[in-house]
Amino acid sequence: MSAAAALPEVGERLPPLEIGPFDAQALTRYAEVSGDDNPLHLDDALAQSIGFSAPPVHGMKLLAAFERLLASWRGDLFIASLGGTFVQPVLRGEKATLTGRVLRVSPEEGVFVRLYAHGPGRAPAIIADATLRPRPGNEGP
Amino acid sequence: MSPEIASIDFGPPTEVFVDAAVAERFARETGVELEGDRAPLAYPAVWLAEPRLRERIAQICAEADALPVHESQRFAYETALRQGARYRLAVAARREAKPSRLLLDATLSDSAGAVVGRVETVLRLVSRAELPKKGDA
Repeated sequence: MSAAAALPEVGERLPPLEIGPFDAQALTRYAEVSGDDNPLHLDDALAQSIGFSAPPVHGMKLLAAFERLLASWRGDLFIASLGGTFVQPVLRGEKATLTGRVLRVSPEEGVFVRLYAHGPGRAPAIIADATLRPRPGNEGP
Repeated sequence: MSPEIASIDFGPPTEVFVDAAVAERFARETGVELEGDRAPLAYPAVWLAEPRLRERIAQICAEADALPVHESQRFAYETALRQGARYRLAVAARREAKPSRLLLDATLSDSAGAVVGRVETVLRLVSRAELPKKGDA
């Protein structure tokens, strides 16, 4: 196995990535491109009516950002899966920090990474995971 | 099948397309740097918002008098999505009663029928009657 294809060690931590804060224009742009125009993310009055001080950022927008975290860390690996549970919202105007740690590594199953997105709250906003594998021959850059 | 789990018809598979301009905008709005002709791995979110799926989800929510809240999302790939490529998107859905959820399992395949990836979406259906109102403690 070449040095470039060497798999990470269990316990390795990914360099954290800070994203945001996202303003109303950013949420509108994401809504337009994704098609997720749920007014909860765009309408202050609606968000306040159900107890939020500001509209929550689209969970998918935050989850999608893990691709950058993973690619910045090990761009030589193929991201075979990414999934997450949206635990609590990150609100408009708030920053989020994406972190990750390698939990399992095997030549057969690849690299399993536990991921978190944290907003200002103590509990994570997203609990996620990803599996990365050496790139197949047709998945080169 | 348990009476608390019911399959829901989401119609036949549909053809979907990775629009390069949309992929670029989606990448920009999610902070992803595109490499070559790859699409962002969360790009199928765009397809889940297509009118036919949206209308079916809205119909289910209306019948339940509920608002959909995105609970979890997963993307899994055999090969990376490519800008400009066309795929077939087949959606299998089921409804769970306790807690009230709509689960969408979408399979992406290429023109030869080979599975490219899977997209799993879980929507919690929150009863409008349970929503907190402004002024509640």
